[in-house]
Amino acid sequence: MESPTPTRKLAFNVDAAAILIALTFAALIRLNIIHHINW
Amino acid sequence: MSAQTIPIPTAARQPPRSQQLLALIPGTLLLFAIGLAGKALESLGIYLRAHHHYFPRIEYVLWAIILGLLLSNLFTVPALFRPGIATYELWLKLGIVLVAAKFVFADVLHIGAMSLVLVAIELTLSLTVMTILGKIFRLPPKLTSLLAIGSSICGVTAIMAAQPAIDADEQDTTTAIAAILALGALALFTFPLVGHFLHMGQQSYGIWAGLAVDNTAEATVTGALYGDLAGRMAILAKTARSAFIGFVVLGYAVYWASQGQAARVERKALFLWQKFPKFILGFMAISILASLGFFSVGQLTSLGNLSKWAFLPAFAGVGLRTQLRDLVTQGWRPILVGVLGEIFIALITLGMVLAVYHHGAAQ
Repeated sequence: MESPTPTRKLAFNVDAAAILIALTFAALIRLNIIHHINW
Repeated sequence: MSAQTIPIPTAARQPPRSQQLLALIPGTLLLFAIGLAGKALESLGIYLRAHHHYFPRIEYVLWAIILGLLLSNLFTVPALFRPGIATYELWLKLGIVLVAAKFVFADVLHIGAMSLVLVAIELTLSLTVMTILGKIFRLPPKLTSLLAIGSSICGVTAIMAAQPAIDADEQDTTTAIAAILALGALALFTFPLVGHFLHMGQQSYGIWAGLAVDNTAEATVTGALYGDLAGRMAILAKTARSAFIGFVVLGYAVYWASQGQAARVERKALFLWQKFPKFILGFMAISILASLGFFSVGQLTSLGNLSKWAFLPAFAGVGLRTQLRDLVTQGWRPILVGVLGEIFIALITLGMVLAVYHHGAAQ
């Protein structure tokens, strides 16, 4: 039976992915490849 | 914080990695669609009010949660979307790592150290009270342990970390997770009311939310609902709290092993590292880079804005995964123990935060 809580394990390491994506964006912004991100 | 309640399929039954990643797309798009709809509704409200029309004054954070809650509680979300909805955890952690650009590392150390002291006191008191409440209401001992771990440290992540360590059964784990998630949803709506009633400052309110609300996602939202700075402070306090996860789970694992009801932990240092939330390292790395002047002011603004974009689908995910019916379907005793424990934790942390800020120790 499926859990009533709609949560499940992802197929990748979430912490590592979050750090990798964050550092990639930080590098792209630092190198001015991405100039500005608006909100 | 986040969660894994469905057993990992065995390698033999696992679909290829590419297929697993493709399966994430529909739910991920749904998260972004709800988040963007929340942001659009906030903008629509600003426009309509400026033109003298009535529209509720609700920020995008709350819109995203409300839309998610309505969708998941009034309708059945098709199974197609479920894998992608789970990516809310990725967006949440990405947002947390990126928001570190807004913190000077000295502040992280200062506020983090203060939070660590408060967390240590909160942990001791809440673990004790939850254990006593579990005994009074005659909950199964391991369910009591799971509720105590979940409510004192890091919500669902802590419960999931503890399940194999103390050899808890699936039903107790599901009940504890449902109770913690349902109580987290209640915090979203009650904490801002209390904060406004007490005229709390952004920093003190944020620290309180980070210390008292169980899941990282709910703590972040509860802070953000009060204001931008409160949201960041909630993340900082919650991150300090999450750092304790390994120690508390290890303590319970050793206890249950001594009772002959769980396997012994042989390599404790490795156990602590495995349970440590690694995204905290990313948070500290970005904060150190920002403090060393690695980024210009404009670049720091861009990183801060990017963190807001990352939080958008995460907030939608908080609404989507909250099942209000769990409040009644999990039995009244775990919920009552949870409610009483949470009220105690909220009051004790509120008292500590007010004492610290009243005496100026946190300025």
